[in-house]
Amino acid sequence: MIRGLIILLGFQGAGEIISRLFALPIPGPVIGLVLLLAFLIRRGKVDVPIDIVSSALVKNLGVLFVPAAVGVVMFLPQLKANFLAISVALTISVTATIAVSAAVLRFWPARKEKP
Amino acid sequence: MTPSLPIAEIWVYLAGSPLFALLLTLAAYEAGVTIYERANRNPFANPVAIAVLIVAIGISLIDMPYTKYFEGAQFIHFLLGTATVALAVPIYQCWDSLRGKVLPLVTSLLCGGAVSIVTAVGVSRLLGADITIQKAMMTKSVTAPIAMGVAERISASPTLTAVFAVCTGVIGAIVARYVLDALRLRAWWQRGFAIGVAAHGIGTSRAMSIHPEAGAFAGLAMGMHGIAGAVLIPLVAGWIV
Repeated sequence: MIRGLIILLGFQGAGEIISRLFALPIPGPVIGLVLLLAFLIRRGKVDVPIDIVSSALVKNLGVLFVPAAVGVVMFLPQLKANFLAISVALTISVTATIAVSAAVLRFWPARKEKP
Repeated sequence: MTPSLPIAEIWVYLAGSPLFALLLTLAAYEAGVTIYERANRNPFANPVAIAVLIVAIGISLIDMPYTKYFEGAQFIHFLLGTATVALAVPIYQCWDSLRGKVLPLVTSLLCGGAVSIVTAVGVSRLLGADITIQKAMMTKSVTAPIAMGVAERISASPTLTAVFAVCTGVIGAIVARYVLDALRLRAWWQRGFAIGVAAHGIGTSRAMSIHPEAGAFAGLAMGMHGIAGAVLIPLVAGWIV
């Protein structure tokens, strides 16, 4: 497990360094994701230590959002004046976004498969 | 000697250590997951939303300022970055099935992203929200850490940006099933990708809990939307708001 953590933190750190070094608008962890993906594709398999730690993190992804999201909830009373506009806009927009991205995939012309 | 003194001392100690915030966060999430499972993973019983409510009520009851809570909870928050890196693994496991899907996925992302911006800004403007709100709406379907970086470049409020991004994640995780069912979308990869485009991390977390393939494609969509959003939104921001 420790080895998996070291590898993941290593990729996160590498992403962080690249992000800062080149002043990129993309944060370190996302660059770390791309780097790890490239590494896995090159390697052709997922080593057990990486698999253990990553599945533990990915399966419990939700809990990691809680600390920041609590801050959001504590901030909400300050938006009282615009509450209706904001909640309607977010709900309509997120529904439309899901619908459109889904519709593109759903109605994308199927490839002609070779027989 | 008042007998309550030691308890008060213990309380002061606990409130100053990360223990309380960690325990509260984990216990609240565990409660959220239990309720979610009992409710047959009904989207309305979103475990993140439940946990957030429990924590928010908890710290308000004991008058703990949010900054104090976050001092302890930051250890959990930190792992969000590590978990983002870890999403490479499920994406890699679906890598072979990506063949022939790249064009539809990119098209879906770009159309979804454009609709996200136009509808969020348009509806909030129509309902009389001011320019600060409209600006922060632009990045609402981009994962929060990237959205906040973009906010700086388009001079939107980072706080509002984070608020809208997180709310979008929760709302998306709740409405996704109904929208996707209405469109009769059956393939897990399609369902997952659409959630990831619209509702980034919290949507991905929901997709993961339903099906691993949906989770992987949601993670992929979140990463793609993050990268595309960071590059493209500052370019178009000028003529939208």
